[in-house]
Amino acid sequence: MSEKVDGITVIGWLRSEEILMLEEGFSVQDDLFLAGLDSMAVMQLVVAAEERFGVQLQAVDLTKENLGTAESLAALIDEHRA
Amino acid sequence: MIRDVDVAVIGGGSAGLAAAVMASRQGARVMLLERQGFLGGMGTASLVHTFCGLYLLSSAPDAEMANPGFPSEMAGRMIAATGLGPIRMGRLDVLPQHPADFVRIADELVKAESSLTVQWHTEVVGVRKNEGRWEIDWSCRGSLGKTLSTVIVDASGDAVTAPWIGAAHEVAPRLQRPAYVFGIQGVRSFPDERRLQLAGMLVEGIRAGVLSKAALGLSFRPSGRPGELFGTLDLAGEESGSIYDPLDPVGLSALEAEGRRVASGVVACLREMDPEWRAAFVSQWPARAGIRESRRWVGRVCLTGAQIEAGSRFEDEIALATWPMELRENTRGPKWRFPVEDRPTGIPLDCLRIPDHDDFFVAGRCISVDHEAQASIRVMGTCFSTGQAAGLAAAMKAGGGEPTASSMRRIAGS
Ligand SMILES: Cc1cc2nc3c(=O)[nH]c(=O)nc-3n(C[C@H](O)[C@H](O)[C@H](O)COP(=O)(O)OP(=O)(O)OC[C@H]3O[C@@H](n4cnc5c(N)ncnc54)[C@H](O)[C@@H]3O)c2cc1C
Repeated sequence: MSEKVDGITVIGWLRSEEILMLEEGFSVQDDLFLAGLDSMAVMQLVVAAEERFGVQLQAVDLTKENLGTAESLAALIDEHRA
Repeated sequence: MIRDVDVAVIGGGSAGLAAAVMASRQGARVMLLERQGFLGGMGTASLVHTFCGLYLLSSAPDAEMANPGFPSEMAGRMIAATGLGPIRMGRLDVLPQHPADFVRIADELVKAESSLTVQWHTEVVGVRKNEGRWEIDWSCRGSLGKTLSTVIVDASGDAVTAPWIGAAHEVAPRLQRPAYVFGIQGVRSFPDERRLQLAGMLVEGIRAGVLSKAALGLSFRPSGRPGELFGTLDLAGEESGSIYDPLDPVGLSALEAEGRRVASGVVACLREMDPEWRAAFVSQWPARAGIRESRRWVGRVCLTGAQIEAGSRFEDEIALATWPMELRENTRGPKWRFPVEDRPTGIPLDCLRIPDHDDFFVAGRCISVDHEAQASIRVMGTCFSTGQAAGLAAAMKAGGGEPTASSMRRIAGS
């Protein structure tokens, strides 16, 4: 079983993939949309999540609630890995 | 027939329009030469549909105009046309603009100037100095013509005249990427929440092998008109297999074809996947793909990214650049660099002047700046300002005066 994905991991991953430029001190509960997550970044995120975490996020998964914070995104990815 | 004018403006994009109108308002006899059949450049021919750089960067609730004169006038006319005011995006204010309104507004602006002649369908193909005057060769539908002028403003976007007059110019090794903007109609509704699901559907289309990976560069924005959207597809510019060169016809041709191919594929795919898109269709292709950066002038001074970052100000500044550096060196969305404390940066008059020629000014996205600074000053709000300044300077010079930044600021502000 693979390790649980948490918000911190997601923040590091979003930064390293250059999907979002998150400021120093960006927390797992801060709003990713305010940090610039737009539809184009979401597409990259979905593609990158498949490569990094082996999950295939579907269109129905892509809601404001699921993508709103690093924490919620981590939970979504985790759910798909289960 | 050879026309003889005080000021010739080459290219009628946002910068050239501002230059031509402002020079004629000073009483100069002006000719504006434009190869398309309408004005506006990227803002019309390439369907770029927001004015950025009009307002100061700030967290204050109300958008505040950064530059008086032509940019403010344009903003007012556009707001009257669309009924839409500036939209706040974080600390940025952008004004939605519609290319069809832009074309009409430009027509009205130039018609109001009795000393301004616009010559459309006229591609400038050569420029040279002869006995102290500029000779401009142009081509229209197979015939060649000539215009003589005292002063030239190059607002061609691509610094097309630089090689002809042997002036210094450069092309950055890693240019901002181009994009293909197109119109869509027939989408039943486009609520904001829907964007995310649409993004997911496009990825599903790519996974299924129906769409190419290039579709990852796509985003949609409502045009402000009922049932109309714009799609913007960021492209690498390397569709021909060679490195991106916005001055090479082979690369440009591949860019146009690929833009249309991916856009058609996406709309067809969404028609299948989303009930709201069942009747959607591509309603408009641009006259040309959007080019963010190409050949730039190397003028008397070069404004740098470091100066934009610091919010530098200058004695001879003619306008303020307020848009942060929006780097688009790949197709994965913008990377932003904001100035400290959201400061505006002054653009020196000498960024619009070139060595050796006092009777030549440049304006728009190809003024003398480095690659990073260009990522700020290319936006249309700033192009209106540099165009305005170049037009005023050209009129002063043609009238026998010496353009100074302070007198230009005074005229623009009055
Ligand atoms: C995809 C994309 C998105 C953008 N998004 C925004 C945005 O949201 N907001 C914003 O403010 N800016 C945006 N920009 C930047 C902005 O649109 C351009 O930088 C700006 O419009 C440039 O204006 P310009 O007058 O300098 O040049 P252009 O608009 O390129 O105008 C040059 C004009 O000169 C003419 N011309 C060229 N050569 C000749 C010749 N030899 N003879 C006769 N005529 C000639 C051309 O036909 C054209 O009309 C975007 C750009 C792109 C490509």
